[in-house]
Amino acid sequence: MNAWLIETEELTRTYRVGTTDVHALRGVSMQVASGEFVALMGPSGSGKSTMMHLLGCLDTPTAGRYALESRDVSRLTVDERAYVRNRRIGFVFQTFNLLARLSALDNVMLPLLYRGRVTDAKRRALEALRRVGLEQRAQHRPMELSGGERQRVAIARALITDPALILADEPTGNLDSQTGKEIMQLLIELSTAGRTIIMVTHDASVAASAQRVVHMRDGQIVTG
Amino acid sequence: MTLLNSFRTAVLGLSGNKLRAVLTALGVIIGVASVIATLALGNGARAAVESNFRFLGSDQIQIDAQLRFKESSGETKLAGKSMSYEDGLLMPDEVPLVDRVEMTVQTQGKVRQGRVVLDMTIVGTTVDQLATLAQSSQVQPVHWPEGKPLTVEAFLGQGRFFTPAEVSDGAAVCVLGYQTALDLFEGDDPLGQLVWVNRKPCEVIGVVTELETVEAAQRLRSKPNEGFYLPISTAIRNLYANEPSVSITAHVTDQTRMDEAKAQVTNFLRQRHNVVADAEGNYNDDFYLLTKSDVLGAQQEAARTFSLLLTALAVVALIVGGIGIMNVMLVSVTERTREIGVRLAVGARRRDIVSQFLLEAILLSAVSGLLGIASGILAVPLAASLNNGIALLDPTSIPLSFSVALLTGVIFGLYPALRAARLDPIEALRYE
Repeated sequence: MNAWLIETEELTRTYRVGTTDVHALRGVSMQVASGEFVALMGPSGSGKSTMMHLLGCLDTPTAGRYALESRDVSRLTVDERAYVRNRRIGFVFQTFNLLARLSALDNVMLPLLYRGRVTDAKRRALEALRRVGLEQRAQHRPMELSGGERQRVAIARALITDPALILADEPTGNLDSQTGKEIMQLLIELSTAGRTIIMVTHDASVAASAQRVVHMRDGQIVTG
Repeated sequence: MTLLNSFRTAVLGLSGNKLRAVLTALGVIIGVASVIATLALGNGARAAVESNFRFLGSDQIQIDAQLRFKESSGETKLAGKSMSYEDGLLMPDEVPLVDRVEMTVQTQGKVRQGRVVLDMTIVGTTVDQLATLAQSSQVQPVHWPEGKPLTVEAFLGQGRFFTPAEVSDGAAVCVLGYQTALDLFEGDDPLGQLVWVNRKPCEVIGVVTELETVEAAQRLRSKPNEGFYLPISTAIRNLYANEPSVSITAHVTDQTRMDEAKAQVTNFLRQRHNVVADAEGNYNDDFYLLTKSDVLGAQQEAARTFSLLLTALAVVALIVGGIGIMNVMLVSVTERTREIGVRLAVGARRRDIVSQFLLEAILLSAVSGLLGIASGILAVPLAASLNNGIALLDPTSIPLSFSVALLTGVIFGLYPALRAARLDPIEALRYE
């Protein structure tokens, strides 16, 4: 049996822009073990965002294979991918992407909304907020929170579904360095507690917090 | 996603821009309100026809002399012969489908008792006058309990009404209206007393009970208690120098054969009045027949025109309203592209997004529909004042117009909702 949480084989993604093909990924094979904290680094255009979208089941590869928890998820339909995202993947974005009209609590509960009836949704959301140290701010709207607090809410939203994988896209990119350090500290804590985290960043000091750094260039893995 | 959550999400989505939602709703509000007001006009017309022709039973043919307007003299004159008492008397025997007729004549006359002289309308009638009053549902005894069916007996205050023999023999008897009896006898018992009608004596055998019109609004104008009734033969003999024009109501034995009965009556009257076909085979009848189905048929014709008008009005207003909804939903989808991206990222399926935006559109149209129903109900009195007071709220128009509003929301909300669901999550998350 395969022990890898994530295993990609020759993952390829080609976009058609006008009449030319853009090769965003050119056969990427990588493995991530459960509980690993991996930083994905590279200059813009290196394919790290495309990689992130494929790993997050937001996109499907042109060729190659992607197994998440030993299950091939590279040929799923739109709704099947939505199901995988909902159950197995938590996203943390650079711009937080909280819904402005919802309270912090409701933002955290959002993934459970798409699961039908979840009786203990509120309890779980409060627990996730407590995990990121924001249970006192549950009823605040994103506008009433600082940048660091917003990112904590977003992390709580990623945690609430107890996902197999947390994907963080430049999680400190919109934060000042002190707040960024606090967010990194939180991610390290989560990693220590056993969460698998893949983080995209171009900041070497941020990447240094991860256990493993994977460098990408021109749609291929250079090192890692 | 559970229904409650979908509903919450939709309310939240709409509350984001209340003014825009209200402005969008205006088209649907006007559409729904005009549906209700127009249906009320149609309903009012129907009710007016029904109340005006209530006296006409479905087994009856009303027969009257044909009047013709003469342009040369500017007068309205009889087209030929009038309906005679004899026409009516012979009809039950000569026309197979008619089993009996009621006849009345009306004229002004002088009624004297002692030193009191009244100028009033004298009605010569057959035995069924009280039954006709009861059937008409225009008048009722005062303080009559609402909903209690009217009986002929209830109309008689004192004494009795005419017997068939008194009617056919021209007996010198009369029945007084309640007020007439008070005016003539000033509280004394009128039964068995003599009164003089155009200098001819007759004995008072009955008094009609005190009556009022069923519709309270008409009570000031109408005077149902100033009646004076004679047997029709007595009235014709004593009050007319020439043959009077008689109003005849024929009762048909079989209600399912009304057209046949009308044809029989027409043939009978053409023979009696010597109406012959002209060169083209047309008859220039000097009488006309009216049945309840004639009246209803004409009314239904009017209702068809009305409903056609209504359909056109509703369709235009609701299309305008629907386009408004579509527009506001498309703008909303564009503005909330990022929100859609987030929802897709955390696991919303396409159908979740479709139902979210569709529900918003339906909610918008439902609120508009309710506001439209409210304005429509308020508009009914306004419509009535512009239409001689004829407008009556049709209760079925409320669920009807509300469902049409909902349907508008579904139809025009579907495209924006599908567009939202087709968004690519990556593109949507990048949207600025």
